Amino acid sequence: MPTTTASLTISSADLTSSPINISATTNLTEAGTGIGLQSTSGLARRETESVTPYVLYRSDDYADDKSHKVYLKNLSPISSEYFTVYLTGDRATGAHDATDQSITGLTEVGRLYAGDFAFIPWNSASGTKEAFTVTVANTWAAGDTFAFDGVTVVAVNSTVANVASQINNAYYPNWTTSVATAVVTFTSRTSRADLEIDTTEAVTTTAGDGTGAVATTVTGTKSLSDIYIKPSVATTMTLESMLIYQAV
Amino acid sequence: MATTTATFTLNSSDVTGHPFTMTQTATLTKAGGSTGLDEFTGITSRTYAAAQTDTVIVADSIYSVAASSHKVYVRNTSTGTSDYILVELEGNVIIGRLYPGDWMFIPYGGTLDVQVTTIATGVTIEYGVFSQSAAS
Repeated sequence: MPTTTASLTISSADLTSSPINISATTNLTEAGTGIGLQSTSGLARRETESVTPYVLYRSDDYADDKSHKVYLKNLSPISSEYFTVYLTGDRATGAHDATDQSITGLTEVGRLYAGDFAFIPWNSASGTKEAFTVTVANTWAAGDTFAFDGVTVVAVNSTVANVASQINNAYYPNWTTSVATAVVTFTSRTSRADLEIDTTEAVTTTAGDGTGAVATTVTGTKSLSDIYIKPSVATTMTLESMLIYQAV
Repeated sequence: MATTTATFTLNSSDVTGHPFTMTQTATLTKAGGSTGLDEFTGITSRTYAAAQTDTVIVADSIYSVAASSHKVYVRNTSTGTSDYILVELEGNVIIGRLYPGDWMFIPYGGTLDVQVTTIATGVTIEYGVFSQSAAS
């Protein structure tokens, strides 16, 4: 079991009339246990030359409701340069909009100015992944096709269960699949609220009356806690980061 | 001008195949300059007799939302392993969980309250804010 220790000291001789010395140390453990966190992204650096926000850590990639920890540091040597740290959210209020930092759809945590670091607990709350079914029915023939997500499946015979199996066995860039007899269930690889698939996207082309009816079974929602980073300037800035996380 | 220094150390001999030690030190300054942060709430220590839901520990109304580099420190000072504190921004924007002994040190924009939700009775917590005055 790994042991990872995080310590913080904050000290000042003159911020208040008495010296301040705050000290905290913790062993990073999995949620609700004494078992040490076992996974890490490694210490990473990312250089940017744009003020466009980017996703640093996506909740879908990590287990929900755990005790993940995120380290961030702004390596810029220029005191006016900062990274704004955001979480997914809809908390861009009017007051928030009064600053130049607000982005509708994201929630500002705060700014890391040059040299600043942060150590942040991260809940990693995913959203819901859109799901729909394709029901292979009626009369199919070899050569009929099903096309979706840039992938075209060509039926090798007329058995609907076999066609469904073929559809299931294909690899879709943005979807995973499972199959039960002649019904294939597609599940989005990421949590998104903007997906609504119908037969204009999942296209069945058959010579006879074969069909591939599409029905939404789960309506997707966006992730609730992706971590976004927005550099303050379009000149080179470097963010150092590390995620120490619980795999399951 | 006050000088406040924060030092972070992270080390592990076995979380990867190579021992890892990192120490980072930052002098806490106002936004965009080298002038030190000039306000501090002190460290508040609380024991919650009952489980809390969205209890405000940092009220945004008293902090500048203009260019600012406030910092929030929170620690779960409870014992055991399971009684976590859920740290949120106002509006149920969940930041993360602090299990007993865990601490956090985050930048704070001053735009939303910082809140905590607890799941047990007797949870203890300490927290404080280092900030720059609105007049800065």
